[in-house]
Amino acid sequence: MANTWGYGAMTNSLGDIQNTKAIIIFGANPAVNHPVGFQHFLKAKERNNAKIIVIDPRMTKTAAKADLYAQIRPGTDIPFMYGMLHIIFKNGWHDQKFMDARVYGMDEIKEEAKKWNPEKVADVTGVPADKLIQITRLYAKSTPGTLVWAMGLTQHSIGSSNTRLAPILQLALGNLGVEGGGCNILRGHDNVQGATDMCCLSHTLPGYYGLSKGSWGYFAKSWGVDYEWLKGRFKSEEMMGEKGFTLARWYAGVLAGKPGEDKIKNAGTNLKALVVLGNGITAIAQQAKVKEALDNLELIVLADPFLNEGAILTDKQNDVFVLPAATQFETSGSVTATNRAAQWRNKVIDPLYESKTDHDIIFELAKRLGFYDELTKGMLLKDDPKTAKPVKVKDEFQWPEDATDEIARTIKTIGLTGWTAERLKKHSENWHMFDEVSGRGHGPMKGEYYGLPWPCWTTEHSGSPILYNINRSVAEGGMGFRNRFGLEREGVNLLAEKGSAPKGSANKDGYPEINAENIEEVLGITLTAKEKSLIGKNWKVDTSGIIAQKCMEQGMAPYGNAKARAIVWTFPDRIPLHREPLHSPRQDLTKDYPAYEDKPNHYRVDTQYISKQTEKDWSKEFPINLVTGRLVNMNGAGVETRASKYLAKLTPEMFCDINPGLAANHGIRDGAMMWVHSPEGTKIKVKAKYSHSVSEDRVFLPYHFAGYFQGEDRTGNFPQGTKPYASGESANTVTNYGYDIVTQIPETKGGLCRIEKA
Amino acid sequence: MSDYYARMKFYCDEQRCIQCDGCSVACAEAHELPVGISRRKVITLNEGIEGKEFSTSVACMHCTDAPCEQVCPVDCFYIREDGIVLHDKDVCIGCGYCLFACPFGAPQFPQDGAFGTKGAMDKCTMCAGGPEETNSAKERELYGQNRIAEGKVPVCAAMCSTKALLVGDSEDVSRVYRERVAARGHGVLSAPYGWDTAYGNK
Repeated sequence: MANTWGYGAMTNSLGDIQNTKAIIIFGANPAVNHPVGFQHFLKAKERNNAKIIVIDPRMTKTAAKADLYAQIRPGTDIPFMYGMLHIIFKNGWHDQKFMDARVYGMDEIKEEAKKWNPEKVADVTGVPADKLIQITRLYAKSTPGTLVWAMGLTQHSIGSSNTRLAPILQLALGNLGVEGGGCNILRGHDNVQGATDMCCLSHTLPGYYGLSKGSWGYFAKSWGVDYEWLKGRFKSEEMMGEKGFTLARWYAGVLAGKPGEDKIKNAGTNLKALVVLGNGITAIAQQAKVKEALDNLELIVLADPFLNEGAILTDKQNDVFVLPAATQFETSGSVTATNRAAQWRNKVIDPLYESKTDHDIIFELAKRLGFYDELTKGMLLKDDPKTAKPVKVKDEFQWPEDATDEIARTIKTIGLTGWTAERLKKHSENWHMFDEVSGRGHGPMKGEYYGLPWPCWTTEHSGSPILYNINRSVAEGGMGFRNRFGLEREGVNLLAEKGSAPKGSANKDGYPEINAENIEEVLGITLTAKEKSLIGKNWKVDTSGIIAQKCMEQGMAPYGNAKARAIVWTFPDRIPLHREPLHSPRQDLTKDYPAYEDKPNHYRVDTQYISKQTEKDWSKEFPINLVTGRLVNMNGAGVETRASKYLAKLTPEMFCDINPGLAANHGIRDGAMMWVHSPEGTKIKVKAKYSHSVSEDRVFLPYHFAGYFQGEDRTGNFPQGTKPYASGESANTVTNYGYDIVTQIPETKGGLCRIEKA
Repeated sequence: MSDYYARMKFYCDEQRCIQCDGCSVACAEAHELPVGISRRKVITLNEGIEGKEFSTSVACMHCTDAPCEQVCPVDCFYIREDGIVLHDKDVCIGCGYCLFACPFGAPQFPQDGAFGTKGAMDKCTMCAGGPEETNSAKERELYGQNRIAEGKVPVCAAMCSTKALLVGDSEDVSRVYRERVAARGHGVLSAPYGWDTAYGNK
């Protein structure tokens, strides 16, 4: 997404789905995972005669509400989408004008799509050719159409290619930047968008600034700390710019050096300590490795409102600390919803008993490690309009308002300048003054969209409810695609063509991102000498606010007006290409569609692709596809929801959805226990639940259970009074090895397994 | 009251129900039910079968001509003016006749003895409590919250994620549902799912 058009976030909103004529859903199950948000899908169907199309390996609750459903083989979304593009281009259903003006590199997509005729797609995906044609016709003819996805599209070794081709499909149909269109990616948990925007990630500073020296310098200045001091916290300046381990593979950092384990590049040392702040590490792929890593750490700290079941999983006896963290009801602050909009939450009660809020836990840790003052200094600063430099304006900070204002002051890349604590509070207090569908405010909130969806360029800006919409002025949330990939490539202009600038723009052409050098020429203005002395190097680091202000006056977006790109020349595949999962049931296809070359130092870990895929014919021993997913009554690793007796009652035991036909072939009765074995040599013992939602070549496991490990009941490890009402095997004990080539997200949605009667 | 209002009714729009169980969990939480009691249940038919899967939420339907009331040997049932069917747990003997009579399986019987934590028989009260003094501790203990007395919507419908479950004066329920059907206006089912099964093809 970010590599296609600038930002990796939902382009429209849940409410805007009511404006659509067709909804195509790949690898998402909003009826289960976003039940409240799903009402907008149902209203679109009810009021707008919108068609719902579901592409999923399972006949989900969402598919039960669909007009058309295709039961796809896991990991074959790319052939399916190319099959759609094949039919679209062949019939001329694409939007040539949109593609010419606003997209780069579509010709290569057209060439690849030619290879995927419906018969070939049927062979690879398992979806009959006539079903593909029916779906494509319905979707292409019902405009605007919106494309929805979630983890079913991303959790593959080719996940980053899947999430490029889906936007390309929308670009081909001109479904971008319009009400009822867009790529509506559903965030799976509370504040995932906010956590991502703050980059609780290992490869970038907050606001997606990356890890370059320039970015560190910008943050050093914004935080009011010395760059040299920051540098001194790292082993070397080189490591300061290196990506860290990811959640998916932190275990490799502990286990490296043991026989059979992947090698790491971590400045010559293994990981020794783990601090977990509210993360369900028992819902992470390769659970047996996670357990082994936990056992081999020197120190484990688990901070959670409920007991983190990592403590139940490990055999480690000493130096395991469990800290009681407060819930969201015991603190306040802003959270970011799936549509890039913020919402302020108020504290309901003070933290109960000895529990502490997450920020207090971090502050206490920082005090003991000796950098509390540096950590919190940014909250005491404000940018001085006279010098455009941060100066200290107070001696004590007020949490969380000053933290929110620090974010607003610092993060320009995604336009958080307008997100001051004062404005966000006002929105939450007046939420009844906003329209449910468009987000538009009325009365005192007129001229603003609910939650100020980013980019919110200035403290007066309305917020941008629909990204890349050139039918609105920039002041009302309009914009073109972001200029992020240069001005031209292979002789082709990467800026938008003439006539595709946002409404009311002074510059009617495409234009580059704005910096101190080009501002006068591109905006057609003259700066005063004073402005010139204050202005920052470019829009992303301009603490004077002059670039944003001048852009608003000229009706132009600070990030430019460029083309989206179908070709990402920095990725291993220039255009998205189908590659079979590392563990594929179709060994005959792995020769034509092989996995990537192995990738050294992938977030510090040497990661296997082709060597794993070709190690042996996995499908002989493990002939059944394994799909994991969520249940409506459970959340994440599940300890919180399994500790509710009424939620636990709905699914009191871990189970496996299995087609009665497949079960009968293995002598497994409904409700009987069965083993699921993985290519990793691991196994779980679960209850069989007959279901027609899965076909005879696959099984489904929910991933919310823990407490049992490979047949062993470990619930005796719970301290008194902490055992949840329901416990069971973790599905991730049997999910297979495999990680995305760019993001390293685990391949949990397309592995293999073998089943047997227990 | 009866001059202006019809009867209080539930209606579950099966085109919208997604089996999220928000209603049944909200009910259990609000009334602090024993785990064995299901005042409200979500039923799914033909699970996993393309084009045939439907879900609906069922509790006491607060029948006008309530079979439970008619068969009760101790006359513990009473029907309020607004149509809500309630019963007196101090009179109820837990015989189970009402369960045989009820077409919806609404009456529930606590497993921990005939006079367990929620009385002999327990069922949906449409969040209207029971014969005890309104909002008294005893009413809450035996029947759960009395939200109707506080002017609140029954908790199941209030919590319904897709607003499939409708509750209120039957004219209001009918108006909301009619608006939905009119808005669909295209290939809408002529009758709710299962109608033919229950009443035969015409």
